[in-house]
Amino acid sequence: MIKQFADVIFRWYCHPDYYPDIQGDLEELYTGHLKNKVQFPQLKYCVDVLLLFRPALIRPILNNTNSNNIAMFQNYLKISLRTLARHKMFTTINVVGLAIGLTSFLLINEYIRFEQSYDSFHKDADQLHRVSYLVLNENGQVMDKDAMASYPTGNVLKKELPEVLNYTVSKKFDQISIRSGQNIFQETGIISADSNFLKLFTYQVIHGSKETMFNEPWSVVMTQSRAKAYFGDINPVGETIQVLMPYKAELKVTGVIEDVPDNTHYKFDMLLSDKSLKDGDDYENWDYNNYYVYLRLADNTNLKAFEAKANEVFLKFEDDGRSKLDVHPVQNIYLKSDFTFEPQPLGSEKVINFLIIISIFILIVAWVNYINLSTAIALERAKEVGLRKVVGAFKHQLVIQFLCEAFIINLIGGLVAFFAAELLLPFFNQLIGKTIILHAWSHLPLVYNLIVFFLIGTLISGFYPALVLSGFKPIAVLKGKFQNSKSGIITRKALVVFQFSVSLILIAGTVIVYKQLHFMQTADIGISVDKVIHVQIPDSEAETEEEYEVFLSRFDSFKENLRNHAAIAAVGGTSNLPGGNASDINSTTTRTRILGFTERMGGTVYIQYNDDSFLEAIGMKLIAGRDFDKEMKSDSAAIMVNESYLKRFNLPDPDEIIGETLQFGETEDKGKRTIIGIVKDYNRTTLKSQVEPTIYMPWMNADALVIKFNNAQALEFVEEEWGQFFPDVPFDYGFLTERFAKLYVQEERFGNTFLVFAGLAVIIALLGLYGLASFISLQRSKEVGVRKVLGASQLQIIYIFYTYFFKLIGVAALIGIPLVYVLMNSWLDNYAYRINFPWIISFSSLIVVGVLAFLTVAYQTSKVARLDAANILRNE
Amino acid sequence: MKRYQLGEFEEIVLLTVGVLYNEAYGVAIKGEIESRLKRKVSVGAMQSALRRMEKKGFIDSRLGEVNRLRGGKPKRYFTITAYGRDALQHSQDVRLSLWNDIPGVALDL
Repeated sequence: MIKQFADVIFRWYCHPDYYPDIQGDLEELYTGHLKNKVQFPQLKYCVDVLLLFRPALIRPILNNTNSNNIAMFQNYLKISLRTLARHKMFTTINVVGLAIGLTSFLLINEYIRFEQSYDSFHKDADQLHRVSYLVLNENGQVMDKDAMASYPTGNVLKKELPEVLNYTVSKKFDQISIRSGQNIFQETGIISADSNFLKLFTYQVIHGSKETMFNEPWSVVMTQSRAKAYFGDINPVGETIQVLMPYKAELKVTGVIEDVPDNTHYKFDMLLSDKSLKDGDDYENWDYNNYYVYLRLADNTNLKAFEAKANEVFLKFEDDGRSKLDVHPVQNIYLKSDFTFEPQPLGSEKVINFLIIISIFILIVAWVNYINLSTAIALERAKEVGLRKVVGAFKHQLVIQFLCEAFIINLIGGLVAFFAAELLLPFFNQLIGKTIILHAWSHLPLVYNLIVFFLIGTLISGFYPALVLSGFKPIAVLKGKFQNSKSGIITRKALVVFQFSVSLILIAGTVIVYKQLHFMQTADIGISVDKVIHVQIPDSEAETEEEYEVFLSRFDSFKENLRNHAAIAAVGGTSNLPGGNASDINSTTTRTRILGFTERMGGTVYIQYNDDSFLEAIGMKLIAGRDFDKEMKSDSAAIMVNESYLKRFNLPDPDEIIGETLQFGETEDKGKRTIIGIVKDYNRTTLKSQVEPTIYMPWMNADALVIKFNNAQALEFVEEEWGQFFPDVPFDYGFLTERFAKLYVQEERFGNTFLVFAGLAVIIALLGLYGLASFISLQRSKEVGVRKVLGASQLQIIYIFYTYFFKLIGVAALIGIPLVYVLMNSWLDNYAYRINFPWIISFSSLIVVGVLAFLTVAYQTSKVARLDAANILRNE
Repeated sequence: MKRYQLGEFEEIVLLTVGVLYNEAYGVAIKGEIESRLKRKVSVGAMQSALRRMEKKGFIDSRLGEVNRLRGGKPKRYFTITAYGRDALQHSQDVRLSLWNDIPGVALDL
């Protein structure tokens, strides 16, 4: 039985020619064993079968009945390698081009994958949704979209709607100073969390109990890396840390969770228990939209229907018809959200689309190189093709042969690309400012992409040349009267035009991105933040009225001391420093009206609190009226508004508004304020967003100070004074110019990324052009000889070659410049304040492309122009 | 040496094929080697050596009679070719010349 089975196996793997007699031998040995009563004859048979599995004896792996095919393949391979070795420039240009193209493509695609992966790592990520707030105008159109909603939204929706399986509500804090032992940390990533938070956002708990860690007020849960920074490697549960600013409190560490990855729209370093929120009255208040509300919906919930139901519930609490809830998937927030007050800067789908286009362009440009060059050298291969056909090659065999060449080139290019991707990853991570992956080789999607696009590349780049080359007529070729076909030349020209157009678009695009960036960094934003530092005054910690008075007088004398110093020009206070991100401001959706001028009007109005010196310190300008005055008692009920506010309410004449009354809310007698000044619009944040309609309220004790210097000695003095007045708190200051510069980090990255990849694409295209020029000049050398004999000068010859290339550049310009306009105009439209489309840049990019092409072609053309006519024509 | 690539085991098999002359088939060769060299030979090792040498042209083969003992399978007889003989000769010559060149004292142990 065992023997029969072994025999089946043996028959399967043994070479059919050898099987009968070897099996005969085995059989004979077996019968011999049986006769001599040797032990375990069947086992011995099996061992013999096992030992017969040898390369010399097994069935050929390519079980092809027509072994001629294998021989032909071997021949193709040999010929391909020889051809590639002979045409060294052709091979090098193609391999380098394909390698650069594939590397760029792979890396960009990893970045895109990363950007699209935001928030997808949570369990049930598909069912996580955020509830946000829409402000409507009279006609029910959406005027403002606010990512935050009010606290009760979460639990009410959970109570009323069965689709809501769970919810969590979280608030993001601004900077908080924390002391632990001797160290002081400035934390910007603290958010509040209730006990549901970790059930929706499924971060792994390392220490502490998921169920109870948020039960007590003043409990804090840290991420692993923060815990390490504070306490080293010990388990910190039970340890305490002190909050210094903005209020004093002692926090108890109740847990540690894994680090939050980069790809989430809501990053944090610490979770403060929800119960420690100071503003307890927010829990029931529908008007304070200060919270991010997340829902876990039941599987297969219809989002549209759910949103309608949620709004029915919402109407029971907010029935003014001027607001609505918006429910959207958490996974879409990072790339698709256009809400204000997002917890952190978002990605941009447009940038992603741009990068997809660039990466595909680069790859195609590299493939085009191969197509162009291999059809250009077709003339040299023509005789080979002719001869093969004469001795009986079929067309499809020739196609396979040339595909084989494309395969080899692409394979080498792909391998180089893979190693290049691995080597360049650190630089790429730096370029985009995120660590997307650590290693190319261990990242399966990248490897998968590489293989897929290597195969696609082989087919796309190999197929056309293969068809052209295999289509030669043997008689014409072997007679020697052979020219490249018309259609082939046109195709090649079209491809060169394509490459020039892409180069043109990328160069112009890069310059435009940088120009917009430069515009934003240097634009007149309406205030002067030069030589202005900002510093946060610590909380008073006053428990009684008297203590608070004492604190205020200290604060005042601190400011007074600074003002009296000659090196300090002004000291102002505000609630929200200029140069923060878009959500760093207060706002209200309460409707406002100006008595006697307007009806009550909805839409978000932004509010900032300033003292009487703030305008002076940052150089804000008034276009009508006056600034706050500390000495005037009546100013506590005064406000200023900005130009945009007037525009929103269609009030053309600022002077007319001075002294009028602005009223908040619906109640007849409450919320009245006198307008004393109209502020000229200025950009408090990036130029991406419009200046919002803003109301400035007086707050003489505003705690974020801006200090304008006359000279550098001031800084030393401020620090000295700080040490006198606030000895407990570190002097932590910054320059406003730096705050503004930070706003454009993402744009700068985009510009740099664009620059690098545009540069690479242009290099590939120029490589191809160089190769093409050399082949064309070689092919046209006889023509040059004849022209020279007939009296053409070197210059005229060069002229002929250049007209050939410059015609192509001209066509490329006709295609490229309109495309630049369409693409870059749509990109510029992302910015509220943008440069006009710079036509001059498009044309100068054209000149750049022209010059680059000129230089690339120059060597080859001058070489061919210098040729001695006698030498060329001698063989004829 | 490069002209005749003959491994040690191959050489033994080849010589045995010669010894057995017209009766050199799988089991016989195996038995002969085992009895003369007092070592076990696996069918696999021997067969692959035979086929390799056949490919190189050192030996020829012909199919023989069918035998009930062998489950109705024919024997395959191997014979040395002229090329095979040259290879053996060459190998012997090389060894002989080496032997001859060893100074007498070197082996006086």
